[in-house]
Amino acid sequence: MKRFYYEEEPVDIEEFYVPIYRRASVRDVVSIGFGLFVVAYLFIFYFISITNTFIQNPMDVHVDQMFQRPSFEHLFGTDFLGRDIFSRIVKGTEAFFVPGLLSIVISTSFGLLFGVVTGFYPKILSSIIFYFLNIIDSIPRLILILIIIVLFRPSIYLVMVFVGITSIPKMTAYIRSKVEILKNQRFIEAGKALGLSPGSIVFKHIVWLSAKSVLIIHATLGMGEAVLIETSLSYLGFGVQEPDPSWGNMVAMGIDFFFQGRLWLSTIPAVVILTTIMGLYLLGDGLNSIYNEKVSR
Amino acid sequence: MTRFLKLIVKEVVYTFLLVIGVSFLLFLLFNMMPGEFLGKGEGVRSFMLLLKRLFTLHFGVSIVSGIDINSIIFPAFKNTLILTVGALFISLLFAVPIGIFSAFRGFKTYSWPLSMLSYIVSSIPVFYFGYLVLYLVSRYTGYLPIYYVQASGTGSRVLAYLLPILVLGLGNNSICEIVRLITIELDRVIGTDYVAASRARGESILASAAGEGILIPLVSIVFSKVPFIIGGAVIVEQVFNWPGMGRLAFQSTLDRDMPVLIVIAFLSVLMVRVGMIARNILLFHLNPREA
Repeated sequence: MKRFYYEEEPVDIEEFYVPIYRRASVRDVVSIGFGLFVVAYLFIFYFISITNTFIQNPMDVHVDQMFQRPSFEHLFGTDFLGRDIFSRIVKGTEAFFVPGLLSIVISTSFGLLFGVVTGFYPKILSSIIFYFLNIIDSIPRLILILIIIVLFRPSIYLVMVFVGITSIPKMTAYIRSKVEILKNQRFIEAGKALGLSPGSIVFKHIVWLSAKSVLIIHATLGMGEAVLIETSLSYLGFGVQEPDPSWGNMVAMGIDFFFQGRLWLSTIPAVVILTTIMGLYLLGDGLNSIYNEKVSR
Repeated sequence: MTRFLKLIVKEVVYTFLLVIGVSFLLFLLFNMMPGEFLGKGEGVRSFMLLLKRLFTLHFGVSIVSGIDINSIIFPAFKNTLILTVGALFISLLFAVPIGIFSAFRGFKTYSWPLSMLSYIVSSIPVFYFGYLVLYLVSRYTGYLPIYYVQASGTGSRVLAYLLPILVLGLGNNSICEIVRLITIELDRVIGTDYVAASRARGESILASAAGEGILIPLVSIVFSKVPFIIGGAVIVEQVFNWPGMGRLAFQSTLDRDMPVLIVIAFLSVLMVRVGMIARNILLFHLNPREA
């Protein structure tokens, strides 16, 4: 495919429209499939959790069934109070699902706003905005969150608001580079000549029709980061508190029994975290390589 | 040379402004708290006092233990610095060969398990990965010390550095990003004309592609990962009982020890900005056109 273009006279590759299903390589299909699997089970778990249709109640304590190994009755075994680990993992999605969406909404909307503004006014206004964004960017995220926890209270919603705020600089930089490329293209010039309003040009033709893929990819990666931060904080003990399950505090709980040889208590939540984060990252990667590369590899 | 000096002056001034901005943000946040400590108080004068104390490196005393902060923060800072820099090197050591290999090989027999492995290793939650390594090493080998050797302890200090650095370098989501970057960039560069020309001259592709294709994006991504690595260091230090800045931050969060936290935030911002300055200087040497 590539070779074909080079043997012809040099043409602008962007002129060709290659349909999405032909741009995807095996690798992209595999990673997007895996990512969609992860997204599907996140939605299913969250749905089970909010409608409260568990097979075994995640909060029920059965002291006679402590430390059971994985079996058909308890798919992932039971923990030190005899609670079913699978149900607790399902309920653990509640800990980050809505807060993660909140952080994505914050980072995407403000990133979009600042990105468009700095892309169109690259002089003084842009350097002022980037000064403030660099301030946010240069404090390490976990340290900022620890400060927030000290000042206010360990609420996962508040933490996720700040995760969203700390992702704004990255988002802004991506949107800005996209806008800077797009604003000099011919179709924007044509739009101006046709007398379209600036709002229509910016929001319909630049943001919606051309930069949509960037938004989707960063929303996916943002969810992965939300899971990572939530589990890390819950592990440290600043996130979701103990009777409520979260994947992070399940790992932290299981680690107390790690050196007794009861590996599954913490390994199973850790593997679930691993699968989820990896799936979300692979989904982002696959979408990125489909949308951003014009010819197939 | 004058351009280089100009760059350095510009960077230093910008960093200075940024650090003042960060201190102001912290000042605003900390004035929401009740209590009396460093950085507390209204008006310009108390902000100036905070700045003076931060920039002259006289941080005052901790409100919980009453110890001089200088005496606890600098050893912790040194330990975290070792951990962070070591983790960066370990990430590069593993990620660059895997990335180059999988770019040349494509999505084929030996390369996809390797790149998959890099994804898996870097997505393992770092707190679990640390305990897994501790478990495996202490149970099956026993060659490496699993905790930091205190002053009274026995054993080699260098070996004790090894496990936390390895865990922070391999885990913490850093490898897969570098692998992906190198794969994509090399893939793009291999198709260009100048690589074709250098291949026709019989030169190695890697040598001709390395300058523009890999090094520039690699340098810019590696140094921008420093804040993320400091965040991961908080957890790794917790797991390995490593007396660094992250564990101090954790401890002072539990204690509500505001002055220590403000100093930790200040020092980590300095670390991040020094990394950025180093990045810009390196980029200036690699690509003088765009500096």
